[in-house]
Amino acid sequence: MRSRTLRKNKNFKYLVAMALFFILLGIPSYIWTKKNVTTLAGRYNSPMTPIIMIPGSSASANRFDNLVKTINSKYGEHHSLLKMTVHLDDSISYTGKIRANDTQPFIVVGFDNNKDGYSNIQKQVQWFNIAFNAIKKRYRFNTFNAFGHSNGGLIWTIFLEKYFDDSTMTLNQLLTVGTPYNFEEKNSSNRTQMLNDLIKARDKIPKNLTYYSIAGTQLYTDDGIVPLGSVDAGKYIYEGQIKHYTLVTLTGSKAQHSDMIASNQFINIFHQYIIGNGVTNPDSPDSKQSAIANN
Amino acid sequence: MNIDFQNKFEKNLIHLALKFQKLLIYRIIQKTLLLVFPFALFGSFIRIIQTVVIGKEGFLTDVFPTINNDFLNRQIENICAGLYNLSLGFISVMAIFGAAKYTAKHFKRDDQLAGVTGISFYLIVDYSYSKLQPFSFHPQILGLRGLLFAMISGIFIGWIFKKASRPIPISESEQNIWQRSFISVRPIVISLLVAIVLSTLINITYYAEAPGNFINAVASEYSSKSNLGQISKTLIFSVYTLVMSFLGWSGTYSSLGVEKMDKLSTINLNYALDHHTAWNAPNPFTSSSLYHAFATFGGTGAVLGLIIAILIISQDKDYQTVARWSIIPSLFNISSGLMTGIPILFNVIFLIPFILAPLANMLMAALAIQLHLMPPSVYPVPVGTPGPLTAFVGTNGSWQALGFSILAIVISTLIYIPFVKMAIKVKQLDDLTSEEGEH
Repeated sequence: MRSRTLRKNKNFKYLVAMALFFILLGIPSYIWTKKNVTTLAGRYNSPMTPIIMIPGSSASANRFDNLVKTINSKYGEHHSLLKMTVHLDDSISYTGKIRANDTQPFIVVGFDNNKDGYSNIQKQVQWFNIAFNAIKKRYRFNTFNAFGHSNGGLIWTIFLEKYFDDSTMTLNQLLTVGTPYNFEEKNSSNRTQMLNDLIKARDKIPKNLTYYSIAGTQLYTDDGIVPLGSVDAGKYIYEGQIKHYTLVTLTGSKAQHSDMIASNQFINIFHQYIIGNGVTNPDSPDSKQSAIANN
Repeated sequence: MNIDFQNKFEKNLIHLALKFQKLLIYRIIQKTLLLVFPFALFGSFIRIIQTVVIGKEGFLTDVFPTINNDFLNRQIENICAGLYNLSLGFISVMAIFGAAKYTAKHFKRDDQLAGVTGISFYLIVDYSYSKLQPFSFHPQILGLRGLLFAMISGIFIGWIFKKASRPIPISESEQNIWQRSFISVRPIVISLLVAIVLSTLINITYYAEAPGNFINAVASEYSSKSNLGQISKTLIFSVYTLVMSFLGWSGTYSSLGVEKMDKLSTINLNYALDHHTAWNAPNPFTSSSLYHAFATFGGTGAVLGLIIAILIISQDKDYQTVARWSIIPSLFNISSGLMTGIPILFNVIFLIPFILAPLANMLMAALAIQLHLMPPSVYPVPVGTPGPLTAFVGTNGSWQALGFSILAIVISTLIYIPFVKMAIKVKQLDDLTSEEGEH
């Protein structure tokens, strides 16, 4: 009975007007939410490009404190520093924090078990993957630059081969210092198990990567710990696989394996390739902008 | 007048309502609400402009690109702020006038003076002892939030007039206006003294943490892992909000959806952006996916269903007028006009559907989400998005969500229909709106 009288009901027109109103607003709402969600997903491509650093064996997440301090004071920049330590039980502890609006923060990932040796390094890669996923989720970036000191470079390489998914994440530049791709072997024809494994899985490494490998030498052959030949063996992994592979040999004072990251040459290279994203001029609009934003 | 009842429940509820209507306090409250209705309605229209049209995250600002004229925008904003703050934002002051006046009139005291005393009383109570601004008030209590307090205070003032002065002689004319004033001097002085005491107390306790803050903190911080915990939390705070709104206060959840997003909703949003879909979001039963998306059609209490119910079945002219006028603000979830015009506030009959309709909608939505018939709303929704479109926008345009929104309108309308019938019967038996012959 109601439906029959409804048409005669003089309020029928109000109900129709209401329905029309919803339909009329529904269309732009639909367009808006589609667009908004796309931009939100785009914001996921957040302006943040962190510099993720892995120290070498026997070093903790505090290894790069001085490096960050030097960079900040030398270039007048204000990168914040977040340090993470992954514990044996896969839990993560954080020290320091990333300041809001910092587009190029440093994130250092250290491990409770920071011992040398292939099996330890493989474990460290698993821990690093846990940490990487945690920060990916937390800071929602999708490009980053990477730095590895010594074995840290091995962790990066294994990580890129085993865990890294380059469809959702872009690694722009990788920089390593004294990374022993062939451990202590001077002669690259004596390949260690690890080097063989790394070469076998090389095609998983993202093709658009630019990689700078720094080797220090004292007396032409090694940096006091890692032989030049071992660092140079990285070419068997990277050459021909990635966009650019560059090997830099650093000599002079502070070319020793552990001292290198305090050397002026290294800091220049680091700033130029990792922070400046390959832009040579430190006064590029990019760095200026970040300096202004951070002041 | 002969009224036949459809069932026992209806009979009992109507009798209960009639009993309540016999109470002086109840009558005065209902009459006062009708007195302030025009201002509430006017204020709700202004509110649309403020939040939906020119507000920063308002629906129309977001969905339609606007004139980006800052000067013009600011002028409109200022004008609207003035109009709103002194209509709907000033409604408690008007309410105390009405309540004091009606009470005094009932006791045959000087009703005009009682009303004016009420205004003075309320403004003194609300006066803020601030060194920064020499003449200012706590704005929250002037608006809808203070309504209950204002009406009770008004009745209290009317009662003081009854106790402290003698009846106004009716037959005498204006030349005795002096005499009339002097009759009322005592209650005026007493009222203002009470006001000063209250004012001091309020200013002392004002900056202390109110219980409301505590509940809001719990609502936004406490988060449960299990789905059952989530859904019960959302339901409990929804009921709290509904009961509070029924009393004229505001609860945890705003019908405009502007409260801070809780942690769970943020996790949901991140998940959805990660996976490019809202399906299977980790926290399906948050306040945004249930309460905001399905329980606030037309404003708190799903009153869009009430409007439709009135338009369809009510033959009562007054209800129809109020409903028609309330359509536009209600489309943007602003219901203050309807709340005071029907009135829903403090109305025994409408208490049940006011809580039941949103709850039914939320349970329906929870069931649909649980059965994977629709995704939960996780994406941001602009302020004042029309209720039935909230879930649609919040799911990034899921047609299933739109379908369930339409179902929710139907459910809330069906729930309101029997209560509208009852309210009309009550009105026929004992009409509060007609000026009764004074007793």
